[in-house]
Amino acid sequence: MRTRKIISIIILLILAGGFILTFSQIPFGKDKINVAHYYISKGIEETGAVNIVTSVVLNYRGFDTLGEVTVLFIAAIGLGAVLFTEKRVQKHASKSKDDKTKKASLILRTGSNLLFPLILLFGAYIFVHGHLTPGGGFQGGAVIASGFLLMYLAFPKQSINKKSLSVVESLSGLIFVGIGLFGLIFSGYFLSNFLPKGIPNTLFSAGIIPIIYIAVGFKVGFELTSVIDDLLGRGK
Amino acid sequence: MKSGKVSRYIVTLIFLFILWVLLTTTLAWEELTTGFIFSAIIAIFGYNYFTKRGLSGITLKGIFYFLLYIPVFFWEMIKANFDVAYRVVHPKMPIKPGIVQIKTTLKSDIAKLILGNSITLTPGTLTIEIAEDNLLIHWINVKTKDIHGATDIIGKRFEKYLKVIFK
Repeated sequence: MRTRKIISIIILLILAGGFILTFSQIPFGKDKINVAHYYISKGIEETGAVNIVTSVVLNYRGFDTLGEVTVLFIAAIGLGAVLFTEKRVQKHASKSKDDKTKKASLILRTGSNLLFPLILLFGAYIFVHGHLTPGGGFQGGAVIASGFLLMYLAFPKQSINKKSLSVVESLSGLIFVGIGLFGLIFSGYFLSNFLPKGIPNTLFSAGIIPIIYIAVGFKVGFELTSVIDDLLGRGK
Repeated sequence: MKSGKVSRYIVTLIFLFILWVLLTTTLAWEELTTGFIFSAIIAIFGYNYFTKRGLSGITLKGIFYFLLYIPVFFWEMIKANFDVAYRVVHPKMPIKPGIVQIKTTLKSDIAKLILGNSITLTPGTLTIEIAEDNLLIHWINVKTKDIHGATDIIGKRFEKYLKVIFK
């Protein structure tokens, strides 16, 4: 036991020495990375988006974001597939459990009814203003899904139409890819910003960025909602 | 009880649009158009949940009393804050916690929701459950266990305004 402790301490010391040597070489507070410097100085001019993070996420690295959306999509499908096979086995168990679920309290029911449209609008506000304010499609989509989650908590027996969910979700995915292909047609490369940039700091600016973020917002929101639906075990 | 679809849709649209304007804090035409389009779309899905009364639930008197209710509520909250702070700072800590039941004459669910939340937001009292016209309240300093007495102290100060707002 003792030798083991001593060895681990020695290893930790070596590791610490290595980290100290490495980090002492990095000058803090200086422009080390040229790419970041480029984004900050040229970002607004080139993309029209005031929010530099958004201009990186959707313009300079738009293809990467398409991949991220795909990862989420695959995760949702995988979850659905796993839960679907498990539910067949536990069908009877879940049925008797459903009958026992009590009605939620009046405060939760009324409050969710009242807040549900407002939460949806707030989510929409976040993803529409992705190029102007902090936030964007992923955050707005998560807010929309939280509105649906609230409704699920308040009305455990209700279920939403999963078909229309997946239709909207696939449509917004198609819009994302379609806009990318239009960029390929109009200016030579996938996801290029072919629309006019407009005046920075107004809503209709930054070309394709707001459109893509609206699509991402819908996609993420409805995808997470279907994940919630799957987790509650009420999918068909 | 439920009024027409159109009237409920319009009420939802108005509230959503007001929220949009408050969020964007601008009157630029692009923002207003986009906000209107999104409010109109979301209201299609949301009106069934948002309101039961529709336009008939909104009266000038109700709006006036709602505006009056905000300062009344804040005044009650400030008073209760000082009361609870006094009980916390006092060396003997004069608390007498307990759960009391109060009654409400309010009929609509939203009115009960606002009453319950107002009681919760004023320090010292906490709504645990609302069932029909009974509210269970946790009270930091139980003055009376009598239902009518407790209703007069806890509920009546908010109820008289809410009764007019959600007539």
